[in-house]
Amino acid sequence: MSDVVLKNLGKTYPNGYQAIPGVDLTIEEGEFIVLVGPSGCGKSTLLRMVAGLESITQGELSIKGSRVNEKEPAERDIAMVFQNYALYPHMTVAVNMAYGLKNRGVPKDEIATKVNGVATMLGLNELLERKPKQLSGGQRQRVAMGRAMVRDPKVFLFDEPLSNLDAKLRVQMRVEIRELQRKLGTTTLYVTHDQVEAMTLADRLVVLNKGKAEQIGSPMALYEKPATTFVATFIGSPAMNLVPAHAGHGELCLAPALRLFNPYEYEGSVLLGIRPEHIQLCSEAEADLSMHVRAVESLGAETLIHGILVADEQHQTPIVVRLAGIHYPEIGGRLWLQLPNQHWHLFDQTSQQRVN
Amino acid sequence: MIENRPWLTLVSHLSLLFGIALVALPVWVALVASTHPTEAFGSGQIPLWFGDQLSENWGQVLFSSAGNGIDVPVWLMMLNSLIMALGITIGKIAISIISAYAIVFFRFPLRGLAFWVIFITLMLPVEVRIVPTYEVVANLELLNSYSGLVLPLIASATATFLFRQCFMTVPGELVEAARIDGAGPIRFFFDILLPLSRTNIAALFVIMFIYGWNQYLWPLIVTTDDAYYTLVMSIKRMLSVEQGDVQWNQVMVTTLLAMLPPVAVVVGMQKLFVKGLVDAEK
Repeated sequence: MSDVVLKNLGKTYPNGYQAIPGVDLTIEEGEFIVLVGPSGCGKSTLLRMVAGLESITQGELSIKGSRVNEKEPAERDIAMVFQNYALYPHMTVAVNMAYGLKNRGVPKDEIATKVNGVATMLGLNELLERKPKQLSGGQRQRVAMGRAMVRDPKVFLFDEPLSNLDAKLRVQMRVEIRELQRKLGTTTLYVTHDQVEAMTLADRLVVLNKGKAEQIGSPMALYEKPATTFVATFIGSPAMNLVPAHAGHGELCLAPALRLFNPYEYEGSVLLGIRPEHIQLCSEAEADLSMHVRAVESLGAETLIHGILVADEQHQTPIVVRLAGIHYPEIGGRLWLQLPNQHWHLFDQTSQQRVN
Repeated sequence: MIENRPWLTLVSHLSLLFGIALVALPVWVALVASTHPTEAFGSGQIPLWFGDQLSENWGQVLFSSAGNGIDVPVWLMMLNSLIMALGITIGKIAISIISAYAIVFFRFPLRGLAFWVIFITLMLPVEVRIVPTYEVVANLELLNSYSGLVLPLIASATATFLFRQCFMTVPGELVEAARIDGAGPIRFFFDILLPLSRTNIAALFVIMFIYGWNQYLWPLIVTTDDAYYTLVMSIKRMLSVEQGDVQWNQVMVTTLLAMLPPVAVVVGMQKLFVKGLVDAEK
């Protein structure tokens, strides 16, 4: 049974600004859905609409089969973890976690059992009597999650919960959140702008752009077959290279003097997309094309080479190549590249849609 | 900044000591005067050391009658003052915290206007509206009553404004978390907002208590019955005796007693008071 169904869900503000034109999404029970997109794409708005903190102006939202458009947040049986944790500063950790249950009239001893159970699961037992300001960022984050878990809700909502943590802790909490969600099997909706977080956490990703779902699918599906140039450049780091070209007659024409064999049937102006990790170095004789090296970023495990494609003089197309291991190409020098065509992504230049 | 200039230290200490002496001397004189018999003042000399009438003077003023034409004892006037001051303080805090709550957390038509109307009442203290206010209180037959003393003074734009500022610093996420936790407006107010504004309430309590205790003009106008006299206004009455000399010793006892409660409130709540004005707990 599907758990949460968004049917043409949209939001238009009273001043006429349309934040979300309409999103369709069916979330299965126990699924981990990540809403991802650049800032201002409406991902938080969408989450807050599911939570009931923003009104819904169009479409229908149902949780476990019943329509909840008009219900108060507390009646939707959801729990939310906020970016700044939003712990009640004057209450101890235990009271913070118990507050939602207390308001629902749960008996005292049952509250105590539940709080203790969740505290044990999250390793918060030692901290139960502390106030939020005596806790570190990671501990606060954990308390915020505990507060959500203790109610045993139908849906967890996370609003960029890791963005206030330092990088190391973020990785650790990311793994922890995933583990907990698997263990509890609670349907989860998670908002982030960080594509690494999105890729690692999600069962399915929803890439939002200007309030519209550009593509919905598993992280690997989005990586391997992005439906639009927006998804192509958003998923994967560094972003996919896009080179303007013209396709036709079994050829891909990057410049008058630069033609590649094209196995895909499509005619017209296209953008050739190729991920930095799929470009290979080769000798001049085997090369598809070449680049001028502008900058090199060495990360040890990999080397990123930024440069300009040598195609024609008018269009300075930037290109990034990602090589495993350590390389020392000469800045300003020329590198010969091969673009294996099984890794090509072709997008129509006007519609930005995938065509191969 | 750390400086090591002995002369500067000496001079600044001396000037501070001088300042303290300047402030404390009248209090000292009052304290000493309250221990002398009435005749001690007839000669025009101000005594600077304690006399032998301490317990007589204080006992008489506190428990039998304040003297100088006022027949009720000072403890009753202290009680009146206390009722008025506490009434004004608690009333002011209660009303302004509720109105600030409405203004900050609820969206209703003319919300901005409501706030500015409250704010404009800053321009209308009791002294300005004393005649119409008296008229209203008289028509409601509240003269010579505690309600008459308290009610006209309990609306407070200052407190509303302070609470508004305090509430506006409450993060939106906290409000939303409470909504998700099933706290309605009343629960949110009592469980979250009130504890969060604890220090602000304390700071306002101190300010408002002193304001209420020191009220002079309004009690003077609205009370004509000795049983409702407040302490501060009585001091003035004690100085305007029609016949005979002013009994300075009794006046001084009353003055000192009038000073005590505000001092006690400030000293007792000093820590919270400072915290409330400078510290944001959220």
